[in-house]
Amino acid sequence: MYVELHCRSAFSFLEGASLPEDLIAVAAKYAMPAIALLDRDGVYGAPRFHGAAEKCRIRAHMGAEVSVVDLGSQARPPFWQPNQFPERPVRLPLLVKTRTGYQNLCRLITKYKLREKEKGTGAATLEEVSEHADGLVCLTGGEEGILAASLAQEGYEKARQSLEKLVQLFGRRNVYVELQRHFDPLEEQRNQAAVRLAESLQLPLLATNGVRYAHAEHREIQDVFTCIRNHCQLETAGRLLERNDERHLRSPVEMARLFADLPEAIASTTELSAQLEFTLADLGYEFPRYPVPPGETMDSFLKKRAEEGVRARYGPKGDEQLHQKAERQVQRELQLIEKLKLAGYFLIVWDMVRFCREQGILVQGRGSAANSAVCYALGITAVDPVGMELLFERFLSEERDEWPDIDLDLPSGDQREKAIQYVYQRYGERGAAMTANVITYRGRSAAREVGKVLGFDVETLDRLSSLVGQFEFRGAEDNWENYFAHAGFDLHHFLIRKYLELCDRIQDLPRHLGQHSGGMVICQGQLDSVVPLEPATMPERVVVQWDKDDCAEMGIVKVDLLGLGMMAVLEECLELIPRHYGHPIDLAQIPADDTVVYKTLRRADTVGMFQVESRAQMASLPRNAPEKFYDLVVQVAIIRPGPIVGKMMHPYMRRRQGQEAVKYAHPSLEPILKRTLGVPLFQEQLLRMAMVAANFTGGEAEDLRRAMGFKRSEARMKEIEIKLRNGMKRNGIEPLVQEEIITQITSFARYGFPESHAASFALIAYASAYLKCHYLAAFTAALLNNQPMGFYSPATIVKDAQRHGLRVKPIDILQSDWLCTMERTVDRGGNEAPCLRVGLRYVRGLRERAVEAILRERRREAFSGIADLARRVPELLKTELVSLSEAGALNSLGTAVHRRTALWQVERAARPAGPLLDAIPEEPETSPLQKMTNEERLVADFHTSGMTTGPHPMTYCRKNLTAMKIERACDLKQLGDGTFTRVAGCVIARQRPGTAKGFVFLSLEDETGIANIIIHPDLYEKCRLIVNREKFLHVEGVLQNQGTISIKAVRVMPVEITAAETESHDYH
Amino acid sequence: MAFACIFVPDFPAQAAVRLDTGLHGKPVMIYQGAPPQAKVFAVNSAARAMGVELGMTRLQAEACGAIEWRWRSASQEATAQAALLDCAWTISPKIELGSKREENSLPDTVVLDIAGCEKLFGSLEKIAFDLKRVTADVGLETQVAIAENPDAAICAARGFVGVTVIPEGRESIILGELLLASLAPPAEFLETLHRWGVHTCAEFAALPEIAVIERLGQEGKRWQQRARGGDQRPLLPREFPSEFEECMDLDFPVDLLESLLFVLNRLLDQLCLRLKMHVLAICELKVTLTLQPNDPRGKEPVLHVRTLRLPVPAKESKFLLKLLQLDLQAHPPGAPVTKVHIAAVPARFRTRQLGLFLPLSPEPEALEITLARIEREVGEGRVGVPALVDSHRPGAFQQNRFVLREATAAAGAARKSTIRTALRIFRPPLPVLVELRKKRPVAMIWEGKRKTVLAFAGPFRTKGGWWSESPWARDEWDVLMPALRPKFESPFAMQEKKKEETALYRIYLDLRSSGWFVEGVYD
Repeated sequence: MYVELHCRSAFSFLEGASLPEDLIAVAAKYAMPAIALLDRDGVYGAPRFHGAAEKCRIRAHMGAEVSVVDLGSQARPPFWQPNQFPERPVRLPLLVKTRTGYQNLCRLITKYKLREKEKGTGAATLEEVSEHADGLVCLTGGEEGILAASLAQEGYEKARQSLEKLVQLFGRRNVYVELQRHFDPLEEQRNQAAVRLAESLQLPLLATNGVRYAHAEHREIQDVFTCIRNHCQLETAGRLLERNDERHLRSPVEMARLFADLPEAIASTTELSAQLEFTLADLGYEFPRYPVPPGETMDSFLKKRAEEGVRARYGPKGDEQLHQKAERQVQRELQLIEKLKLAGYFLIVWDMVRFCREQGILVQGRGSAANSAVCYALGITAVDPVGMELLFERFLSEERDEWPDIDLDLPSGDQREKAIQYVYQRYGERGAAMTANVITYRGRSAAREVGKVLGFDVETLDRLSSLVGQFEFRGAEDNWENYFAHAGFDLHHFLIRKYLELCDRIQDLPRHLGQHSGGMVICQGQLDSVVPLEPATMPERVVVQWDKDDCAEMGIVKVDLLGLGMMAVLEECLELIPRHYGHPIDLAQIPADDTVVYKTLRRADTVGMFQVESRAQMASLPRNAPEKFYDLVVQVAIIRPGPIVGKMMHPYMRRRQGQEAVKYAHPSLEPILKRTLGVPLFQEQLLRMAMVAANFTGGEAEDLRRAMGFKRSEARMKEIEIKLRNGMKRNGIEPLVQEEIITQITSFARYGFPESHAASFALIAYASAYLKCHYLAAFTAALLNNQPMGFYSPATIVKDAQRHGLRVKPIDILQSDWLCTMERTVDRGGNEAPCLRVGLRYVRGLRERAVEAILRERRREAFSGIADLARRVPELLKTELVSLSEAGALNSLGTAVHRRTALWQVERAARPAGPLLDAIPEEPETSPLQKMTNEERLVADFHTSGMTTGPHPMTYCRKNLTAMKIERACDLKQLGDGTFTRVAGCVIARQRPGTAKGFVFLSLEDETGIANIIIHPDLYEKCRLIVNREKFLHVEGVLQNQGTISIKAVRVMPVEITAAETESHDYH
Repeated sequence: MAFACIFVPDFPAQAAVRLDTGLHGKPVMIYQGAPPQAKVFAVNSAARAMGVELGMTRLQAEACGAIEWRWRSASQEATAQAALLDCAWTISPKIELGSKREENSLPDTVVLDIAGCEKLFGSLEKIAFDLKRVTADVGLETQVAIAENPDAAICAARGFVGVTVIPEGRESIILGELLLASLAPPAEFLETLHRWGVHTCAEFAALPEIAVIERLGQEGKRWQQRARGGDQRPLLPREFPSEFEECMDLDFPVDLLESLLFVLNRLLDQLCLRLKMHVLAICELKVTLTLQPNDPRGKEPVLHVRTLRLPVPAKESKFLLKLLQLDLQAHPPGAPVTKVHIAAVPARFRTRQLGLFLPLSPEPEALEITLARIEREVGEGRVGVPALVDSHRPGAFQQNRFVLREATAAAGAARKSTIRTALRIFRPPLPVLVELRKKRPVAMIWEGKRKTVLAFAGPFRTKGGWWSESPWARDEWDVLMPALRPKFESPFAMQEKKKEETALYRIYLDLRSSGWFVEGVYD
């Protein structure tokens, strides 16, 4: 019997080539009872290793290779051999024996990781190792180990001293002399010395294979990773590469054969494995307790807060029945919370929300938390789960042994940062950390890095990268072969085939550790004894070594503090509206049934609105025709892969439009599916269906959802299906109906969208729609100030606002601030109305620091001219002055100044004549340059600010377009269904959704609106380049006018409109 | 004052076409880069018309249609440029090579000061047409322009097709219609001028001069003057050569080495004399022998070039002549020589104080002659010092030039040397048959004789180069067995009782071909 006790996985980041799951799978194949993972300087892969091992009933031993600075450098090839080995500290392979050992290991790694200045360079001191040696077993390691280093550098005696040092640190029983055999003569020499040393010091021998990959063929990936890590190419990497492919996981038989002369080294593996009692199941994590006033328990304190909340939330609604129902629900939830000992968690989240409210930070809980009446009462969420009859079990159930998930949406940017910093302050540096985000190789990164390693030039790689991974949809032709062929690679060439193969093979392997956008984990004790912490790239941020899924898997509670651009827009609107419209606005008090809002939504006039602005949303809005808030909840949820793949969208739409009768698979399902016209759309409905039809408990139903989720197992599915059938049989449901219900449940479980989540998003969507309809100037200003976000470019947002009657004034050095602002203007009817002034942030390349200086000087005294501006604001660089001139922002500095005049003057102003001539007054100078033509102005606008406040580019050629019988977007609705028509416009969006079977959707914008184009996959293949590259298109096709207007293209041609650099939102 | 400019459009493509008559009149593209990364580096106008763009890969370019292609050849380009210079030198001794358009390309223009040439060659128009004809004779399609100043000539040559002669005083009018790109100002000026809406030379020329200076500085003024065709600058004749050259056209073709050595001796004497005047020696010698072409109508010169790189700079013509003699004996020209050209790269004298107690090493000059003699015997490129390379590939080494190690360096290296077992490698390895038992070698059969393996160690496995078309994979064993061949011993020793000799060999199994080989024997 043999146990492999020294494996590295790909979570050693470029020093291992297989995923932990692959290692476990091979260990299971060889019937190993246990296996140990020792990744470099961390336990990054431990949860996945542990999870996979549990499934295969293998014991997963933990450990890590720890770099130690005081034990010398790793062995390098002899001096006479040329090599490029960098100097690195030796690594001690440490195996965890007990929980104390695990905690020691985590703390030890945290200590030196938090100290490291550059990623991957940290190393522990000998003193630190000594402090944290308890509960750990030390191996002498392979070629990176202390024995190899000592023998190579100073010989046998030094090696003996090094071993004695290890014995001193870890104790005689905890040091094993490691032997590895990879058919390498140098290694064998080392082994002979090691055996003699072990004998003389009476230390046990331990055979390992120093595993770096699961299968021998993964050696190629290991070599590629070595090159990436050392910034070299395969051709020049030399001895940095593996000598052979022997570092794969070997079977016990092979290992026994290999160590036939040293059977004790094999026997030690099982003996040591038996001593390693710790596994990750024994993590010892505890969520922090919330400090409550004396005489209170966390439960009593939470109960009081919840009861207060119920009164505040439901009292004003004046619906006694609802109020009572809510109280009952809250009591029920509180009982469960108490039973599961989760009061602390709720209070901590409540505390975060309270902090945000106090600081004026807009916050709203989303996700399954919105199913909880307690969360609603505590002010964490904004959707009334009782009124909307949401299913609490989706959020929390007794059967499920895991923490509930609460996500908080915060305005992106500084406000969210404030909330994060509050958590750090409150729970201390070692008490809270961000979850990690393991960056893995994806299409582009794989193509790029493998290409570099194989020696391809940057230009070629750029071209290839630009072709890879653009689409959400992956059709038959969207594969590596095609990407390579389009990039001009000869697929018959050996090297190209290899390149292709490697790109495919390194997909999803970890590259490095990033920081998750908002997930925070908190711990009662020291978080660094649960998982090692390390510094994030962002200053003052600490991340744990596990990503959010791993944290969840390990039962570590996490709170997601997510930045949402639209929350920032809403927050900014709340500030702008009272200032410019003269009355305050409260989002909680906006009318819930505003007719203008619903009319606008039905018209799909939704550019800029949250969640309902995409091309697909716009296409379905007229068909869904929302009239009340719940319709909007459905609208948010329906354009998702779930309903589309589950084929629920079209039946719903047909029923909604009265084209199909509403029917239910079984009468018992009517109360559940009534709101969605008999079509299951939400996860909660699915859960309820199982509960009603097959008598599942809430927890069982949630289990069902998880079993059918992304990582579905056939056996588990079968098990649940039998349970469902039995339940339905007991309820007397006919076999045919049973089949229908099971199909509905199984096809939908995977992609379903939680109703609570949809409701939370619908609230924001409604608020954004309301603000856009009633406070267009403020909404547009806020939207522009929070770019990039949403679906459309600033240019489209501005054009849309202009079409809705908003006056948008261009950037002006004397009027504009950094951000877009609001001004008063007089509309066509002679009334005063708010208008929008584009901010200086939109001048490309203009720094905020320079703008601050401009504003400071402008407040002191207005600028008299361009020379005055350049003199008084020395912070302005010449390039910035040029950009300002080109954007027309300096036209107000003087009379009859146009952009070219400004450009002319700026060139002179930017070359000061020197102090001698400073005193000579400026002579007003006329420019010999021609005024910009319309086309030149357009080009300059888009070049400098990415938008134009002047006429749409299409306006200038409308006459010609009309002559070509090209329709305007606004005229399409007057044409009948099936009419052959022509449109032209600027491409503002290209989409190829995963659910659309290869169809491509284009949005063409002209001066009157947006035309929707549908391109058949065959046509797309024929004119791929034109569709993807051209900025303006002329499309001929058949008009489809069935509530939604679109054109099914039969021909797509480029059209010359302008050379301006318009932008399109592509394939997101 | 008058200046002529010759411009070779698509210079790299033309450089390839001119030597290859089969390409004349056809669309041609030139690739650069090692396969499979080859990309279009240059095209001629016919290929461009078919849609080929610079930077395309082979697959993309080949999709444009049937287009002839060649690899880029730096020597062809250099020769083309030399030919271009030769053409220019046929008219005027004062010539200036234009600036490079791109970093890795050669200049495609040459400017000639043709003041006074009218008396020799006729009118300016005639000179221009002569230049065009002469360049056409060496296979280059050129655009020629003549103007009052060099830059106007360059601008016109680049901007106008064919031959352009700008009459005095008409520069601004004629150049005015050209786009600014023909002027080729710095990119930043071009960008600024485009921003100003200024796109042609005339528009640039029309801007007020002082205002231009205020904005673009003196450099701007110069470019504006060029746009006006009025920038009078002195020609920058070709730089003082980094090589010293001597050349002799022979009255009649020489086919005997002795006669050639007589000529070489004269040239070397001259070169050494000139270099001595500058207190310089020679570190590299390039001899270009122009051979009598087989086809007397052929205009392309046939060259026989030999380059000698010297380890230490030399100044003695006798020594250089001896080296040349040895080299030419090893590499005799294939035809009678009609022209001899020697280019010498100068260097400073070697000054070195020899250590009083250091062992004497051979004189560098003598050593060099010895090495040249050995090379003549064993073949070119087969003399040097082996050096290890950073690779796991078995037996991988590179051959460096043999240079006498400095005494101090030798002493330094000796410090760490220890006694190591040496493996004498058989090149090529000896193919053998190996008997295995339990996957271990027990005997070896070589030349029909069976040798029992007495002891072994291994296997030691190396696998690599999987990304290349020559990967390696082998299992090596060190085996002790009776010697394959007896050692040479003196007849006296033979009288003693003969005991079977054993030796330690390295054998290996090539895992790709499954063949066994003896790689070498340990000392």
